[in-house]
Amino acid sequence: MTADIPQVLFRHRKPHRITTLAEYREHGGYEALSKVLGGLKGGDVQQLLEDASLLGRGGAAFPMWRKLATVAEDAPFPRYIICNADEMEPGTFKDRVLLHAEPHMVIEGIAIAGFAARAEKGIIFIRPEYENAARILEREIENARAAGFLGPRILGSDYSMELVVHRSAGRYICGEVTAQMNALMGKRPNPLQPPPYPTDKGLWGKPTVFQNVETLACVPHIVRNGADWFRNLSRTETGAGTKLFCISGRVNRPGCVELPMGTPLSELIEVHAGGMPEGSTFKACLPGGASTGFLPKKHYDIELDFDALKKAGNRLGTAAVMVFDQNTCLVAATVNLMTFFARESCGWCTPCREGLPYILDLLTRIESGEGRPEHVPMLERMAKHLWSAYCAFAPGAVSPLQSLLTDFRGEVMQHIEEKKCPFK
Amino acid sequence: MDSSNETIGPVRKDLAEKIAASDHPRELVVDVLFALQNRYGWLSDEAVAEAADLLSMTALEVEELATFYTFLYREKVGKYVIHICDSLICWINGGENLRDYLCAKLGIELGGTSEDGLFTLLPVCCIGYCDLSPAMLVNRKVYGPLTREKIDELIDSLRTGTVPVGGNGGGV
Amino acid sequence: MPTIIIDTLEIEVPEGTRVIEAAERLGIMIPRFCYHPALGSVGACRVCGVKFLEGPVKGVQMSCMIAAKDGMVVSTTDEEAMDFRKHVVEWLMVNHPHDCPVCDEGGQCLLQDLTISGGHGIRRYEGLKRTHLDQDLGPLLHHEMNRCIHCYRCARYYKDFTGYLDLGVLGSANRTYFGRFSGGILESPFSGNLADICPTGVFTDRPSRFKGRKWDYERRPSLCIHCSLGCHTHVSARYREIVRQEARPSEAVNGHFICDRGRYGFYYSDHDTRPREATLAGKPVGWTRAVASTTEKITEIVRQYSPAAVAVVASTRCSLETQAATKRLCIDRGFTGPAFFISTGQGMRTRTAVAGCTPDLAVSLGEIGTADFILVAGADPVNEAPMLALAIRQAVRNGAEVAVMDPRPVAMPLAFDHLPASPDDIDKYLEALAGGNGEDKAGAPLPVFVRSVSEKLAASRRPVIVCGTDMVSARIPEAASRLAARLKTQSRRPGLFFLMPGPNAFGAALLSESPNDSLEAVIEKIEAGTVRALVLVEAAPHRESPDRIRLEQALSKLDFLVVLDYIDSEAVGSADVFLPTTTIYESGGLFVNQEGRLQGAHPVHRGGLSIHRTGKGSHPPRRYDAGLPGATPRPAWEALGELGADLSRTWEGMDREAVLEWLSKKISAFSNLPLEDLPEDGIRLDVSSTIAPAAGATDKTENEEAESGIELLLSDLTFGTETLSSLSECLHAVEKPPCMVLSIGDVKHLGLKEGDRITVQLKNGTLEVNLRITERAARGVCILPRHRLLPWQCVGTGRVWVKKEQIKAQRHKGTEAQS
Ligand SMILES: Cc1cc2nc3c(=O)[nH]c(=O)nc-3n(C[C@H](O)[C@H](O)[C@H](O)COP(=O)(O)O)c2cc1C
Ligand code: SF4
Ligand code: FES
Repeated sequence: MTADIPQVLFRHRKPHRITTLAEYREHGGYEALSKVLGGLKGGDVQQLLEDASLLGRGGAAFPMWRKLATVAEDAPFPRYIICNADEMEPGTFKDRVLLHAEPHMVIEGIAIAGFAARAEKGIIFIRPEYENAARILEREIENARAAGFLGPRILGSDYSMELVVHRSAGRYICGEVTAQMNALMGKRPNPLQPPPYPTDKGLWGKPTVFQNVETLACVPHIVRNGADWFRNLSRTETGAGTKLFCISGRVNRPGCVELPMGTPLSELIEVHAGGMPEGSTFKACLPGGASTGFLPKKHYDIELDFDALKKAGNRLGTAAVMVFDQNTCLVAATVNLMTFFARESCGWCTPCREGLPYILDLLTRIESGEGRPEHVPMLERMAKHLWSAYCAFAPGAVSPLQSLLTDFRGEVMQHIEEKKCPFK
Repeated sequence: MDSSNETIGPVRKDLAEKIAASDHPRELVVDVLFALQNRYGWLSDEAVAEAADLLSMTALEVEELATFYTFLYREKVGKYVIHICDSLICWINGGENLRDYLCAKLGIELGGTSEDGLFTLLPVCCIGYCDLSPAMLVNRKVYGPLTREKIDELIDSLRTGTVPVGGNGGGV
Repeated sequence: MPTIIIDTLEIEVPEGTRVIEAAERLGIMIPRFCYHPALGSVGACRVCGVKFLEGPVKGVQMSCMIAAKDGMVVSTTDEEAMDFRKHVVEWLMVNHPHDCPVCDEGGQCLLQDLTISGGHGIRRYEGLKRTHLDQDLGPLLHHEMNRCIHCYRCARYYKDFTGYLDLGVLGSANRTYFGRFSGGILESPFSGNLADICPTGVFTDRPSRFKGRKWDYERRPSLCIHCSLGCHTHVSARYREIVRQEARPSEAVNGHFICDRGRYGFYYSDHDTRPREATLAGKPVGWTRAVASTTEKITEIVRQYSPAAVAVVASTRCSLETQAATKRLCIDRGFTGPAFFISTGQGMRTRTAVAGCTPDLAVSLGEIGTADFILVAGADPVNEAPMLALAIRQAVRNGAEVAVMDPRPVAMPLAFDHLPASPDDIDKYLEALAGGNGEDKAGAPLPVFVRSVSEKLAASRRPVIVCGTDMVSARIPEAASRLAARLKTQSRRPGLFFLMPGPNAFGAALLSESPNDSLEAVIEKIEAGTVRALVLVEAAPHRESPDRIRLEQALSKLDFLVVLDYIDSEAVGSADVFLPTTTIYESGGLFVNQEGRLQGAHPVHRGGLSIHRTGKGSHPPRRYDAGLPGATPRPAWEALGELGADLSRTWEGMDREAVLEWLSKKISAFSNLPLEDLPEDGIRLDVSSTIAPAAGATDKTENEEAESGIELLLSDLTFGTETLSSLSECLHAVEKPPCMVLSIGDVKHLGLKEGDRITVQLKNGTLEVNLRITERAARGVCILPRHRLLPWQCVGTGRVWVKKEQIKAQRHKGTEAQS
């Protein structure tokens, strides 16, 4: 990593193994927790997070402090803090990398966030593909507990928290928090439209805060180094902190890198991912996982933060950047994505359950040369109406499709006119 | 299902204890199903009924979950369950070819189980290893970036039993 | 109260009203699939999308998910909203078969309606359809999953609303499946409602499958008469045959649903054994001659003995018109009766309960849902009055707690505390609760359970006491009334809810002179020789009274037996004269349910032998007379009026109007009521001036000293015990096999074990039955169902105790109970 790029989450990352508890403590690990328990109030933590402008890293970019603040002072107990390690957004693997590197950073983050919400129980909800990470976590939770960082009366304070790992059996929708809540309660993981919000009536009807792995890992650093320090890590005014970017597709060095918020896309590709392979030129990328839109070449220099992408009509999502070159058929790529979404739909609401297979059928026809011009407006209208589905799954699902139909319409029409895929 | 059966006895006892100790036994449905799947290789009707019995739920209630999740197998599967990723990055990196290669090599279609009962091949959505793409899981242990050679090597050694891979409830 | 504008119309609605409901009040029916007034909103189908133009939310939103708020301006006809809804329908039709003509839902299918009205006429989808395999769900419902549109109504109804857990949601995405773990009979006794709430043809009514289209039917509002609750129904007839019964929504009574006993109980009306001809000494003679012979014979007996030598026994299943006609006959002619109850005890208990139904305390079935604590004393809801269990469940879903004191192993689809107490103990405990005492009469401390009930009653704001009248003494309904009255003085809003023996037991109690107007008392008079002739009106004592031998001996002593009925009861065979009567479906009628709610059923069809029977599967025979075949039966009140007119010159009019006019003049509870034109939800009667509160009521049997041994209690089951519905063949398969229930605490010393086939030596014979042992039955009692397959009528009248020597297990060698 270039020397002048600030590293926070990955600073002490070891190749192929975790940072042990002892090592983590050597670098100031659990100092933040001890500081918090040594005299800060839940409100102080919230204030810090607000000042630091910490936005959720799980995809929705919701301010973390606000969730903590909505847990009412007099809300009932027990309360829950959930670490969302489901990470099923295609292209995304940052939480895995982080958990395989710094499990204690996440555990400390959970403990601090838990304290701020006065949660007595923490649960890490993890996808079944991450069995390795689950085992690491279980072991390290035990170690942290033995060292007094978890369990009853943490570090001699009056705050107690038990942390456990919950293994999912694998479905994309389980990453959505209300569906996750149902999954945790042994119900079918269909989402639940608020109100009530989980922070009000969550798991077992009690206040529950859900945060992404990476979001939680940022918390100890903010407590230790201050809100200003965190905000200033960003290269843009609008951003705050660093961000774990997962880069994959047509690049030479796919992987997960920590970069300041606001790092330009071009730099990400050319410097941090080793550029594109010989002969490949940038055509488009998905900037934040499968449920964001294709970002066309005109945005090649865009500064990657939540705001800039929003302005470009897109989303930073999970910051999983998937790069496509001039030889990638974006219609076929979208067919692939729609297959994913149609398969993973939970089946609760009509637009998603029935609309996505329909869209998939139309798009497959276009890709295979059977498309007709009238299919394009059909797709457009259906995609628009999928925004009126029950949860955020469907709007995410149609995001790549909608950008395909606007920014790459020519490519779609070419399929129809030539009655075949021009890339084949 | 015979609970006094010698091999399942300890699994059952362990689960029953966990359930008894839990504030909310329903939190454990997936755990129980994984444990039984680990034990039996898949979730037969009897296994679902057994889970229901352990959790004081109806078989239907357990089935509502057992049929929802990707990694719970309600049909008999082979000793090694291969989930080959078919999402975007693996597709870009030639996953389809490898899938066809695997099908041919194992002599099965997607969803099928090889005649010797060793392998079941299933598609799976992005497994979170796009940095190792094209990738697949064998009994939930990840392999990638895959090439035909690597596949040959792995399948052959699995056939001859030279590589240990855990049960399909969660090998690492 | 927010004010909202929908399609330029303004309306003020209560806080929390959903926009879809507000629109409905304006007469705007926004499309819906998943929304259902009883199941609420879940936002799954998305077909109720409308455009919010002004107010706190904007754009296309689901009208079922959004509560009306001040300032909202909503358009249902907005182009974008219409286009969205049209797409939803198109999506729902993607996998739906295009074969309405072969689907039994066609013609009453919400999907069909919305597909047409949504303008989705031409299929655009060219892909393959997803298909499913169906399950065999038993005799009542037909399952066709390919028609499913995934509104989740069935699972929400079945699991959430009724609390049964064998039907739910399987699979996911567009492979989501609604069904059971594996095929088989649905466990819920409320399963038939699935056919009503499924908006398409996934769940259709199996017995009536392919009997016709909705527009083919003669369909009228009716009532269920298979228990005392009087749930509202719609009954459909075709070709002189009742083919289907559905729930008719009623806020006060049954909400949107009915139980399966009610839904499928109607098959007696076209049963192949139904007697349809008037007979004299068993020979068909035509109506006029049969009536004439009756008049002749009765006149003779009156002359020879006295008018009181003629007794009239009717029943609690007779309509109010029929009950009134018997009453008028007895008063006018001086006959003995009318008796409506099987035993004096039953009459007493019912009268006591009726007296307790004061307007300030009685609650309707619907109101039970508002309770915060429910005490059930001596009642087994699912078995005695199934819909009561659903009402209690809704209260529990709203946070109510439930405590049950009953000797039976009461099971309900809800969480409740149960004290398996014998009737004598319930008596003691209820008395203590009513008196606010900390100990029972004998000075013994109350069990923890009862003390906790007392505390919960004290802590509740809306306690409801549900009290049975079947296996308890008359003191219990009386104590229940006193308890409710006491709670009322403590500024609570208590409710009182009794169960009664039959759909018109309430009417019967109002029309009985005294508790001695019972079949039991009439039998005594026959035995004593003071009654020589008996007119039996729509009563089946052979099935319903516990001493059949005594009954038969008494009947054989009679000089003359006239039977009027619409079922082939055993009495029909021994009648000197038989007059066939019509069922509720042919003549309609008024009934007073257990709450004192007077409500009416409309006639559905004219009756007569169904074409299906006259034609025997082929074309019906061509006949040239004007009448309908098999249409001799007349309403019982009319037949009685005819007899009355024949017997007395002063009798005027014998039609329904005349009977009702007489009733409103003679019985104060019915005066000044629009008997001919009742409101949909009926009218709650004020009985205070008609029936005196029976303070300190007793019946002679209940003071009988407890003998040694265990007390035998007769009880009802959901299926197989009620006389009329027991004739429905489709229900036979869902009946639980009858067995005798015994507490686990009692089996040891009796030397019995679970599953034993036992013989019980009783007063009039030996009964062979399977034994069921449970921890949840009271000690010191054994419970026997009045099941159609058990000859339980050998038990004998009064309280019955069984001693150890009377029970024997039939065992093969080697299976002896271990002691
Ligand atoms: C369909 C869907 C899938 C999601 N999957 C994930 C996930 O795997 N991991 C995650 O952290 N957030 C996921 N989210 C976002 C969560 O709903 C939620 O916003 C997030 O976990 C909150 O944590 P954060 O504020 O720290 O990001 C998903 C959202 C949707 C709609
Ligand atoms: S949009 Fe609807 S079907 Fe899709 S995941 Fe969300 S709730 Fe489920
Ligand atoms: S009726 Fe509103 S979403 Fe179904």
